[in-house]
Amino acid sequence: MVELLELPSRREEAWRWSRLDALPELARARHGQAGNAAQHFIGLGGPRLVFVDGVLDEDASELGRVSIGALELATDHPLGRQATGAGWALTLDRDQATDGIEIVHVASGGANHLPARITLAEDAVASVVETYVGEGWANRLTQIELARSARLMRSVRMLQGSGFVSIRDEATVGEGASLVSVFLGAGGMDCRIDDAITCNGAAAYAELGGALLTDGNQRQECAVSLRHDAVNGQSRQIWRAVAKDVSTASLAARVEVARGAQKTDGEQSLRGLLLDRTATINLKPELEIFADDVKCAHGATVGELDARALFYLASRGIAPARARGLLTRAFVADAIDRIGDEATRDAFSVDADAWLEKTL
Amino acid sequence: MLKIDNLHAEIDGKEILKGLNLEVNAGEVHAIMGPNGAGKSTLGYVLGGRPGYEVTGGSVMFHPARHAGLVPASASPQAEALADKQTPAQGRGDDHGWVDLLELEPHERAALGLFLGFQYPVEIPGISNVQFLREALNSQRKARGEALLSGGEFLKLARAQADGLGMDQEMLKRPVNVGFSGGEKKRNEMVQMGIIAPRFAILDETDSGLDIDALKAVGEGINRIMRAPDKAVLLITHYERLLEIVAPDFVHVLAGGRIVRSGGIELARQLEAEGYAQVAA
Ligand SMILES: Nc1ncnc2c1ncn2[C@@H]1O[C@H](COP(=O)(O)OP(=O)(O)O)[C@@H](O)[C@H]1O
Ligand SMILES: [Mg+2]
Repeated sequence: MVELLELPSRREEAWRWSRLDALPELARARHGQAGNAAQHFIGLGGPRLVFVDGVLDEDASELGRVSIGALELATDHPLGRQATGAGWALTLDRDQATDGIEIVHVASGGANHLPARITLAEDAVASVVETYVGEGWANRLTQIELARSARLMRSVRMLQGSGFVSIRDEATVGEGASLVSVFLGAGGMDCRIDDAITCNGAAAYAELGGALLTDGNQRQECAVSLRHDAVNGQSRQIWRAVAKDVSTASLAARVEVARGAQKTDGEQSLRGLLLDRTATINLKPELEIFADDVKCAHGATVGELDARALFYLASRGIAPARARGLLTRAFVADAIDRIGDEATRDAFSVDADAWLEKTL
Repeated sequence: MLKIDNLHAEIDGKEILKGLNLEVNAGEVHAIMGPNGAGKSTLGYVLGGRPGYEVTGGSVMFHPARHAGLVPASASPQAEALADKQTPAQGRGDDHGWVDLLELEPHERAALGLFLGFQYPVEIPGISNVQFLREALNSQRKARGEALLSGGEFLKLARAQADGLGMDQEMLKRPVNVGFSGGEKKRNEMVQMGIIAPRFAILDETDSGLDIDALKAVGEGINRIMRAPDKAVLLITHYERLLEIVAPDFVHVLAGGRIVRSGGIELARQLEAEGYAQVAA
């Protein structure tokens, strides 16, 4: 498989802000010594899974309703299709619910690939928190299917010290079902979040967003698309990027409204904050609307911290680094606050704060 | 408490303050009046340390009065002022009576007890009033080596100050100044002043945009919070109305970047009746 690693070219529009040059070498490199995973559990009382370099650590895991086995997931995504073989699956029957599932992905160098599938039947409810730590390349393909009125809350934090995390999600959201996905990039690695969500039932609800925080020479990006195929759908995309030094954060987010998807209500907000003028933030909001009776609002802005606000805080006694931290935190709060569960939201806030403390 | 000597300051290379002198003692309230564009806000910003306001000459010495632990009780301000002017304070005010205010960062000035009430308070989305003020107060307390307030202690203090100024408790939870009316922003400045309890307050047109009731609440707030033997106020205003409530000890006219006249409250009344052109000429 190593020899077959075919990466997309930056000449392709969807990959023009990507930097994948480190991946071939990581794909050839060996794994090292894995770090401790336990400290990264939030304590939600549900199933706990630890994957070390993409392989389940059975001793450290409690599977609950999650199963492990070979998954045949069809995709033509150039990174997602590398994630083959054994993976994890969550299948909930009608009306079933689980306590919050926590998954810690520990990477020890080299590359690891893992497929996953989440299938929720009518009215089933689940939440999944995934945490990426360590080093190397973690590559994931997750396929999600939500039946009528099913609800899934998904929170993903990328905290690896170095390397690359690539995430490909493919989801369908059925009638009245709800999918909320929030991502946080607050580690030292590069990342690519590549989501394709289709709302194919009437009155489906999808929320997709997060915060990418970069410094040094890092490069993080999301390239996501959300498609409305049925009437009365609602979607929210709230993405925030903060970039320091010579790093690059890119947000490409697309909303498609198919011809028959009348009364769609779509909102998209992409905002970037440059902490240094040497950093780069790319924003690419896209709306493609083929129905006539829809409400779609979008906004995209890049700016710097407000000098007047900084002086206002200073005049009240708040030191400059702390003032920058508070304003930057307020800037990303919109995105992180979408997480419904308080303990999870707090944990993500702490990670964002830690990044700010370290960086500002 | 504050001694401004021949202060010159410019913005974008344009000289705004052109040799301003002013002395304020502990226990005093000074009003500064003057036409639009005279440099009143510039004076406030220079004292607060706003970036972009460049001091090109003169000095500002600050003595945070009998601030517990900051000032030797025996020191006479005047004597120290003279002594310190030859050897500017090195300890950032912790161990000296008089400090060179212009040497300090804005947040250090605040920790020493300086408060600037803004003519145009800034909106800060995403940070609640409570969070902002607790952060501010505890930053100052930390800088002064005092114990930090817990969330509960702080909330009690904040509620009492909001009540004192007739500000709805709900507004404490809202993002700082976001969606506040002009009058609400000014009340909020006074609530902040009440919570922070500064030694020296510069209030820049805190009375503009207030209706009669709010003006009364703000005026009485200033008296309650700042009228004390160890505190002082520089009250920048356009109107005489606030002065009838606060009753300043001195009134100055600032025009063309200098103090051109000084007097008592009768000067404010004369200005109200005759206008600046007459009085400042
Ligand atoms: N940012 C700025 N850049 C250039 N000139 C300024 C700026 N701010 C104020 N000024 C000028 O400085 C002068 C004094 O302004 P200000 O201190 O605001 O006056 P006042 O508060 O007395 O009305 C005015 O002529 C004003 O146009
Ligand atoms: Mg002014």
